[in-house]
Amino acid sequence: MRNGIRLIQNEWLKLTKKRSFWVPVSMMVLIAAMVTFMLYKFSSNLSEIDSAAAYLSGMMGASGLGQFVAILSIVGTAGIVAQEHAQGTIKFLLIRSRSRGEIFAAKYAAAVLYTLLMTLIAGVSMYAASGFMFGFGGTGAQWLDVLKESAYGLVYSIVYVTLAFMVGALTRSTGVAIGVGLAGTMFGSLMIFKDFYKYVLFPNVNLSVYDTVGPPLPGMSIGFSLVVLAVYMALFLVAGYTVFRRRDVA
Amino acid sequence: MTLTQSTKPRQAGGEEPVLRLQNVSKIIGRKKIVDQLSFDVRRGEIVGLLGPNGAGKTTTIRMMTGLIKISEGDVKIAGRSIQSQFKDAIVQVGAIIENPEFYPYMSGYDNLKQAARMTDSVTSERIAEVISLLGLQEALHKKVKAYSLGMRQRLGIAQALLDRPKLLILDEPTNGLDPAGIREMRDYLKKIAVSEGIAILVSSHLLSEIEQMCTRVVVIQNGRLVTERAIGAGGSGQERPELRLRVDNPARARQVLESLKGVQALDGREGEHEIICQAADEEMPALIDALRQAEVAIYRITETRKSLEDEFLQWTGGNQIA
Ligand SMILES: Nc1ncnc2c1ncn2[C@@H]1O[C@H](COP(=O)(O)OP(=O)(O)OP(=O)(O)O)[C@@H](O)[C@H]1O
Ligand SMILES: [Mg+2]
Repeated sequence: MRNGIRLIQNEWLKLTKKRSFWVPVSMMVLIAAMVTFMLYKFSSNLSEIDSAAAYLSGMMGASGLGQFVAILSIVGTAGIVAQEHAQGTIKFLLIRSRSRGEIFAAKYAAAVLYTLLMTLIAGVSMYAASGFMFGFGGTGAQWLDVLKESAYGLVYSIVYVTLAFMVGALTRSTGVAIGVGLAGTMFGSLMIFKDFYKYVLFPNVNLSVYDTVGPPLPGMSIGFSLVVLAVYMALFLVAGYTVFRRRDVA
Repeated sequence: MTLTQSTKPRQAGGEEPVLRLQNVSKIIGRKKIVDQLSFDVRRGEIVGLLGPNGAGKTTTIRMMTGLIKISEGDVKIAGRSIQSQFKDAIVQVGAIIENPEFYPYMSGYDNLKQAARMTDSVTSERIAEVISLLGLQEALHKKVKAYSLGMRQRLGIAQALLDRPKLLILDEPTNGLDPAGIREMRDYLKKIAVSEGIAILVSSHLLSEIEQMCTRVVVIQNGRLVTERAIGAGGSGQERPELRLRVDNPARARQVLESLKGVQALDGREGEHEIICQAADEEMPALIDALRQAEVAIYRITETRKSLEDEFLQWTGGNQIA
């Protein structure tokens, strides 16, 4: 347990000690503040929004700023495996008395933590910005909605972060990993009205739709989507791990 | 030359070697890059792994450290298989493979802490100890990207030594260093071998380097073992070494030498006042007395040692070293 935590600590420091770490963080804060301000200024249907909580519950999901959280998280974490290969530090990492499985798990944990941090920053910045416009309060039910939408947004981000993480482990290329991850977030809005498409990853990732516009395709439900997502995530991780564990490191 | 052997007597033959390669092969595609390689490294030894470019040195070291799979055979570190007992085996090893690579945006100290967090027992006292052993104090809080290659090599050795390994594996540790840096590195390694009491395997194609540092060499070519032999510390270790005598009158000296029992004389270099002979240590006083009695002035007596380079060229066919 202690060993695992120290490995994650290592991965976390590698992500955050880079000066470029502050780029996505400050972008997140800025965008959250700007979007909130623009909506307040130019949107017509603000009558339903009576508190920061109401605003947040609409914005934390993938239909709000969730997609942007996902994009920044992908860019921030896609290189977590590939960069070790590019820098040659993979040798330094693999000749310690830690198994490749432990190292792979620690890297994935750090990527998930990073996504969590970005979600948190998005939430806090939007809360602060919207508080000035709509008031900082909110009813209990509204806050529950915020939690639920944040969880949906987090699921959305983590699915694509996991996809990019796998691609990075398979190809050892940060660029390809970011590319595939970002392409994924774009395909999400593409819809093919065929039955088979409900088993594809993309229509299942944005869980917020079940509360707003309803199932994307007939026969889909939130439970169905969660199962599909779990299967894909397991597939991504198993594929990435298998290759990472067996690879000859030159 | 002071070597570990002078302070640490070689262990009796029965002791388990720190490193043992058993018929190790690496096959990529249909090519055998390393072919049935076997050798041992024991405690207190500094062994040179020699071979021309492309001989398979780095590939062998990668197999020893578990970076690439072993196609056939096994590598045992202090008796533990790197394949089936990876963690127990690798914990005994510190290594630099090809270039020492670090996270460039972190300081040297942060990089060492990264390494320390991947061990079970490295404390901050141990980190400080290794830092002072390698004289890294000044560069410690600079970012690694601002390090010179020599500093990075030292940091590489520091991270390799952190967890008190029994075996230190260094692939081309003097790669890219200037003569002063090479000398410094060599002194560090010898110091470390004594102070940490460990076995060191150094791969290189810098032969004079190996010669001055190692107690034994393992020579490979095309992935196969060519020869394995001890390097005498300070001398050839031969019973009857070849000696070069510088005298005023080589012809007379030759007559004298030939009259002595057991001593063989050869002509020295053309045009120089030299003569070459083979004699055992016990024969030398009599030899010198005889020369003095014949009034031959002796200027110098030196051993005509073949350099390792000469031997290396002989072992490997000579046409393809670096
Ligand atoms: N992944 C690989 N696929 C195919 N061939 C390889 C691979 N890795 C190494 N080789 C070949 O194996 C041989 C040995 O390479 P290796 O790097 O072990 O040599 P080396 O002794 O370390 O050489 P050098 O002194 O140049 O460092 C070379 O001919 C190289 O081309
Ligand atoms: Mg090499």
